[in-house]
Amino acid sequence: MNTTTTYSLLFFLFVSAFSSVAAWADQQELNYRLKWLFNIGASGDIYAQANGSFTAQGLKVRVREGSPEKNAINELELGRADFGVASADQVIQALDKGAHLVVLAQIFQINPMQWIYRDDQPKINKLADLRGRKVGITFGGNDETIMRTLLTQASIKEKEVKLSGVRFDFTPFFRRKVEIWPVYRNTQGVILKEKLAQEGEGVRFFNPADFGVHFVANSIITSEKMLKEQPQVVKKFLTALLQGWKAAMNPAEENKVLAAVKKMNKNTEDGIMKKQLAITRELVWPASGTIGAINEVAWKQTEAIMLRQGRIKQAVHVEKYLRQQYAQCELTDEPSGTGVLK
Amino acid sequence: MLVRRTYQFLIVYCIGLASLLGLKYALSLSDYVIPSIPLILETAGQVFSDYLRAAFSTLSVTVLGQIISIILAFSVGIAGRKSSWLGSFIRATAYNIQAYPIVALAPIIFILLGDGFLSRLLIASIICYFPLLLSVLGVMAAPVQEIEHFYQATGRMSWQLEVKIRAFENLSKLTTVISGSATLAMAGTIVAEFIAANAGIGYSIRTALYQSDLAKIFVALFLIGIIISLYQGLLENIGQWIIQKKLG
Repeated sequence: MNTTTTYSLLFFLFVSAFSSVAAWADQQELNYRLKWLFNIGASGDIYAQANGSFTAQGLKVRVREGSPEKNAINELELGRADFGVASADQVIQALDKGAHLVVLAQIFQINPMQWIYRDDQPKINKLADLRGRKVGITFGGNDETIMRTLLTQASIKEKEVKLSGVRFDFTPFFRRKVEIWPVYRNTQGVILKEKLAQEGEGVRFFNPADFGVHFVANSIITSEKMLKEQPQVVKKFLTALLQGWKAAMNPAEENKVLAAVKKMNKNTEDGIMKKQLAITRELVWPASGTIGAINEVAWKQTEAIMLRQGRIKQAVHVEKYLRQQYAQCELTDEPSGTGVLK
Repeated sequence: MLVRRTYQFLIVYCIGLASLLGLKYALSLSDYVIPSIPLILETAGQVFSDYLRAAFSTLSVTVLGQIISIILAFSVGIAGRKSSWLGSFIRATAYNIQAYPIVALAPIIFILLGDGFLSRLLIASIICYFPLLLSVLGVMAAPVQEIEHFYQATGRMSWQLEVKIRAFENLSKLTTVISGSATLAMAGTIVAEFIAANAGIGYSIRTALYQSDLAKIFVALFLIGIIISLYQGLLENIGQWIIQKKLG
């Protein structure tokens, strides 16, 4: 190798390295805390990263798993996360306790929190059909609040149903000790349906929304401070994220989405995951819905339910914290994602 | 001992709480992240009696679990004190089973026994049992040469006498281990309740965690601390009384 070639090579390497560093330095780093573990319920979040939506907006986003202990609202306040996913009850409870949050978008248009029961059991056509049934609830969880609302709505006294505490182990349901079991429709619901189908049993789902109870599930949140000080970053993030969700819910992108989720969650079988994605699509992007749209009526109902059940001390007027202008606008369909929210 | 244990706990609790409140005000955190004193007091007023009942339910399982584990640990420890194959097998089993995290064993226990009283009792016993067994094995497997030699030389040594000599000579150590194991039994019971049960203070903590209600968790921690301090102090008093009675 002659001297000229060596110098050219070194110059090329220097320029490449410098431009990479410069490009990296241009990207704004953000932390995004999910509500739960990586699974199909976070497919849009995962896909926004996998398909480069965040990068296209000049963002470097660390998407992190959540849990009851790793709460997005706590992380926002502690400055460890810039954006997060929280359920409506968490948001309302935090507002009640003085947290400074805003809701940017609502991921699930239909709450995935539903109940599963075998089809050889009497069908629940009206709420009064719950009377006398053995119903599972997670004490302290969302499903408890929803079920108690349904029971109140149907004027069913607690002694008229058998409420059983449930956990992640489905044995009581398999052994028919609990008849109606709470599940996330798009994840556990699919798995349980498959397992029971293998035993020759069919299932039905009991969706509270069908009976007028619209309790909002996962939503995108950030701090008031973030929105005030860096509105452009918020726009970019939300644009990228909603583009990710939009792409993830597009049947044409199914294989790519499944591959991206599979990278993060290797424990779920491919066939199950495919079915989970199909159900997630119905919950996130129903025929009459818009991705990310905030259902203000449902938020108000969620607050009213929590107030009635004593989970918050006073009305927080949650509608004041819903940033419709971000969530209810349509994204541009430009593939590069210029991020303009109309 | 009871009073000392209690005020020592109160000092630790107050230091912990003060540190968290310091963080709260330094970082301007809301009551959702770290509750303020008025909120903790208000919550305590709402849940104290329920939580106290739950804490006593946990204590009852703790005491029973500890008794079972003491009986088991002494039985197995005495049986396995010889440096025979059986003795080393028991020790190896104890070490191995202790290495399994209880959260991995718990689902199996709950499938077999359900999520009621028996599961809580079994998990409390398991957590309390192995450290106790290892201590008992340590005591029982160590000969007290200066005393045992005489009985061996005169041919009057029996296994009962051997156990008595070793227990008597290590009475202080054994009583300390037993009172110390109370915290393990309590921790075991709380873990069992936390993972899956429908009663007890661990169950209350899990419910509060689902509701992101740290004020309730502070109240629960306070009750757990007070109750375990009193129980441990009581065990230490009993231990001292036994030592004084035996040693004069």
